[in-house]
Amino acid sequence: MLDTIAAAINAAVPGANAQVLTPEDAKLDSSVLVEALHIHAVAAHLKNSGTMNVLQCITGVDYVDYLEVVYVMAKFDPAAPAQLLLKVRLTDRENGALASIVDIYPAANFQERECWDMLGVRFNNHPDHRRILCPDDWEGFPLRKDYVAAKDYRGMQVYPEGKMNMGDREFIVRQDMIKKAQEAAAGKVQ
Amino acid sequence: MQNKWDIDGHAEAHTVNADTEKLKSDLLTLNMGPQHPATHGVLRVEIKTDSEIVAHAIPHLGYLHRCMEKHSENLDYRGVIPFVDRLDYLASMSMEWTYVAAVEKMLGTEVPRRAELLRILTVELQRIASHLMAFGTYALDLGSFSPFLYAFDEREKILRIFEEVSGARLLYNYIWVGGVWNDWSDEQLQRVGEFCDAFEPETDKYHALVSVNKIFVQRTADVGILSVQDCFDYGATGPVLRGSGYNWDLRKNMPYSLYPEFEFNVPVGTGEYGTIGDCWNRYIVRMLEVKESLKIIRQVLKKLEPGPVMGKVPKVLKLPKGEVYVRQECPRGELGIHLISEGGDSKEPYRLKVKSPCFTHVSMLPLMAPGQMVADFVATIGSIDIVLGEVDR
Amino acid sequence: MSHTVPHNSIRRYFGELFNAISTTLRGMWITFRYVWGVKVVSVEYPEVRIVLPERARMRLFNDAQNCISCTQCALACPVDCIYIASEKYPEGTDLKKASNGTPIRLKLTQFTIDTALCCYCGLCTTVCPTECLTHSHDYEFSQYTIDGMKYDYLAADVIAWRDRIVKA
Repeated sequence: MLDTIAAAINAAVPGANAQVLTPEDAKLDSSVLVEALHIHAVAAHLKNSGTMNVLQCITGVDYVDYLEVVYVMAKFDPAAPAQLLLKVRLTDRENGALASIVDIYPAANFQERECWDMLGVRFNNHPDHRRILCPDDWEGFPLRKDYVAAKDYRGMQVYPEGKMNMGDREFIVRQDMIKKAQEAAAGKVQ
Repeated sequence: MQNKWDIDGHAEAHTVNADTEKLKSDLLTLNMGPQHPATHGVLRVEIKTDSEIVAHAIPHLGYLHRCMEKHSENLDYRGVIPFVDRLDYLASMSMEWTYVAAVEKMLGTEVPRRAELLRILTVELQRIASHLMAFGTYALDLGSFSPFLYAFDEREKILRIFEEVSGARLLYNYIWVGGVWNDWSDEQLQRVGEFCDAFEPETDKYHALVSVNKIFVQRTADVGILSVQDCFDYGATGPVLRGSGYNWDLRKNMPYSLYPEFEFNVPVGTGEYGTIGDCWNRYIVRMLEVKESLKIIRQVLKKLEPGPVMGKVPKVLKLPKGEVYVRQECPRGELGIHLISEGGDSKEPYRLKVKSPCFTHVSMLPLMAPGQMVADFVATIGSIDIVLGEVDR
Repeated sequence: MSHTVPHNSIRRYFGELFNAISTTLRGMWITFRYVWGVKVVSVEYPEVRIVLPERARMRLFNDAQNCISCTQCALACPVDCIYIASEKYPEGTDLKKASNGTPIRLKLTQFTIDTALCCYCGLCTTVCPTECLTHSHDYEFSQYTIDGMKYDYLAADVIAWRDRIVKA
């Protein structure tokens, strides 16, 4: 079924390069990967053709080389219920941006704000582009793999010494990912 | 830009200018702050009103944000279950089952039949408890105190049953990967049956006390109307979507577990009082769902047979590389768990995303608020039945 | 009122008035019955305390005599609230046996549970091989300081509670 959706997307939006990603294990979910530049056209096609009428969720994952934004869509039709995981990959971690689909699916409003808050993915033309769950002046994007929480926030200690067992409470930071990010930054500077 | 809330005649004030913006004093900003008895948690809504009518309602979230999604990246799969409990703490069993279903889908574990039936039994009891809480606090928001106490008396009986079986009243850690933690004794099952028999006439009492009461009807009928297209646009599910008249219940339309074996109806808002899609219809959908849950519980009690309650699960859980997205019908809507595993030797999830129904319902508040009175806005917030633990995670 | 009855009619006016009075009286009749003859459900705590069911998960208790320092509980804990430190016995000491027969090879030097961090999930009790870590039924242990919430299960006054909590 995902093949028909991918074929329809490719027919309607040239350049979208929709491909079906099928995992080897049959128990796991397949998804459709499209080009980041065409997400708005793809979403418009999915809504107008009636393939998927509800946007349930926009999540993001930080695979170190790229950020992946997953749009979980569903069709609420008792005759033919369906579900689609639409993926987009962004290689630019600093300034990666996607077109906002708020004008097509109003549900995207809060979901895109959360994606910005947690992963730092910008959405162009979003009406209210600010953090939603973290405080407005929080620094850093928590769900990135190289995120290290700041030691204090507005004078309050994030992990006060006397209150918690410090060795256990630090988020485990993967050293190779920080190193990679630093190398990438060093490579750019040079 | 001229909107109907501007004072007539201030043509100059429409140039965008920081000083003239401050002069626009015709809208009163009323802060329905994080500490409020009617916001069902720590929700802050910035209401801009023109006398009594709401012009804009801007929800500010994050007061209960604990970033459990990041914490779960450092916990093994069994250790995430107490964290998932604390999402929607009034319906913990449903949260646990959705997460465990995602892990089991990736592992391919076989869950014994008795464990599946016990899961359905606990989740339907939890649905009753959650809807009782929603009913009691909704009546309390609108000013009546007795239904709150009656509902909590019945809910207390359910919580005591849960305490005997799982050990805790609210955050159970009961539904485990592969089955359930503890078995129910025959005596406990018999007490569930007695509870159902004693509780059924209580639902009629609530109907007579609250649902048809003229004051309640006037406060909730024709208030906060959502069309089906609005619900689809914003992604509303559960009683909010069914209150707007659309028959969509995951237990029937995309069935999971042993739900196809059970006979129950899906209540839908019919506009008996007010219009379809208003607060009254969302409320009555919850009250009717309680009756359907009682039907399911009685069928489960008949079908239960002795057997194991835990399937074969390895001691250390290692999931294959890939992702799943699992949806289940929770009392407040459709909960989605997106679980990504790195595969290989990793014992922790790579990414756990919780698609929370209450988060999408809060995003509908700016849609429903304009044009209502502030008192109607309180009724609207109560009718979408949010729990901030789930909204903020 | 039904949508077929016209909005500004006398019939609607009196119909709604009758509806208001009748539904209010119906509701008041239901609540009025609670004045007499209904069993009071309030529990007059602290004079009366509910007996907790056997499986109730309240404060943890560790029977330090039986602990073999396997640290399974600390590894299973989702919030890392158990702090365990142990050292090997010198060579040749007579090893005592735990309740399930395993000889205790490690001397427990620290077993502290921070009950302020504990989330009372019970995962630690399920993995304990000697079942020395159990949930007691104690829920009245509030302290004046956060540090007071750290319970040292090797302290003499805590060991004195053993007989009250651990069933032989």
